Amino acid sequence: MDDIFTIIKAALLLASAVFVLLAAFGILRFKDDLERVLYARVHILGVADGACILALLVMGEPLLAGAYFILVPFASHAIANGFYYGEDKQ
Amino acid sequence: MDILTLSEYILMAALAIYALASMRIATRKTIGMGLVGVGGLSIAVATILIIVQNIYGIAFCKDIATALVLLGPVGTIAFARVLRGYSNG
Repeated sequence: MDDIFTIIKAALLLASAVFVLLAAFGILRFKDDLERVLYARVHILGVADGACILALLVMGEPLLAGAYFILVPFASHAIANGFYYGEDKQ
Repeated sequence: MDILTLSEYILMAALAIYALASMRIATRKTIGMGLVGVGGLSIAVATILIIVQNIYGIAFCKDIATALVLLGPVGTIAFARVLRGYSNG
């Protein structure tokens, strides 16, 4: 029975690694001269955040994962909001 | 080496690549890009530290990871408020 849980944990960690690699590729993919590219990068940041939350849950850190799960939407919204009212309006 | 440790090493390598990509984004000229890069870097480093704690049994890595997970988004929110500007409310 333990072997099944170990295999499931390993599969989830590998899935997290795949998503993190996709996010690393995606965050560098767009050129800087593209208009409002920051929103796309905030979106890609959410993918990596979700993968890291999944990895933290699998590795037995539910408090860290829960805290980050609550905090990170506020941070992403604050970045997009600050960009919209700050740099984008200039 | 069992399959769980192997997958942890693979995740650590993926997170190292993501941390480098985040650092590259953080060095772009606008403040918003810096915030995106540092936000990605903080969670990547925190997850790497948790993996290091799992593999090598270094206990204080969890304390640093906790500080990064809690203070990273808080700092991002604070800096984004500055980016937005005080006059707009």
